[in-house]
Amino acid sequence: MPREEWPLRHGRPCVQVVLASALGRQPFQRTLLADTGAGSLLSGFELILDKNDCLLCGGNPLHPVTLGGAYAGSFPTYLIPVQIPALGFAGNLRVVGVPSVSAAPFDGLACFSFLNRFHYGNFGNSSIFALES
Amino acid sequence: MSVAENVQELNRQLARRINQEARSNPQSPYANKLVGIANGEVVVVSDDWDDLARRLRQIEPNPTNTFALEASRDYDEVHEIWELD
Repeated sequence: MPREEWPLRHGRPCVQVVLASALGRQPFQRTLLADTGAGSLLSGFELILDKNDCLLCGGNPLHPVTLGGAYAGSFPTYLIPVQIPALGFAGNLRVVGVPSVSAAPFDGLACFSFLNRFHYGNFGNSSIFALES
Repeated sequence: MSVAENVQELNRQLARRINQEARSNPQSPYANKLVGIANGEVVVVSDDWDDLARRLRQIEPNPTNTFALEASRDYDEVHEIWELD
């Protein structure tokens, strides 16, 4: 099974995804906190990104969702093509766009419903986080 | 209101109506379906987000003229995002 590993960043697990740009530019990469505490399997969204990234990707608007906790209120949501090339993963994900991602140094959050698409964890190496498809 | 804003508002209003109908009537053709809207009209009904995205972008390449929803979902439900230290 293909596996992609990322070193922990500031001691926290992360994943890197590739987003397509709608403006004819090169696809760009974002590093996301791998956060199993973000939402549930039934939340209806898989990533949280800066709203500007969602617009840069030409995301199709979806019905807004309501968040609580670190982000509170109603937020726009977009359908965005996302890839993890090393895993052969390419899909259209439901992504919440927030005005500012409060998870520095990360560019956003990979929520539980996204991580749960894969086998995830450290696979016996405490200095990395990995996804396996 | 600009033409673009008008289209977006039409799309949102239609989405609200579809979700209300689907939530109140399980026999609705939209109940538990993924519904794609473009320029104020339903243009795609699907069970799969990838399929919906592909067809919606074929029909209307400008994403600002589109909207989509998962009919029957409770969009008022609050989803908790834990805070980083």
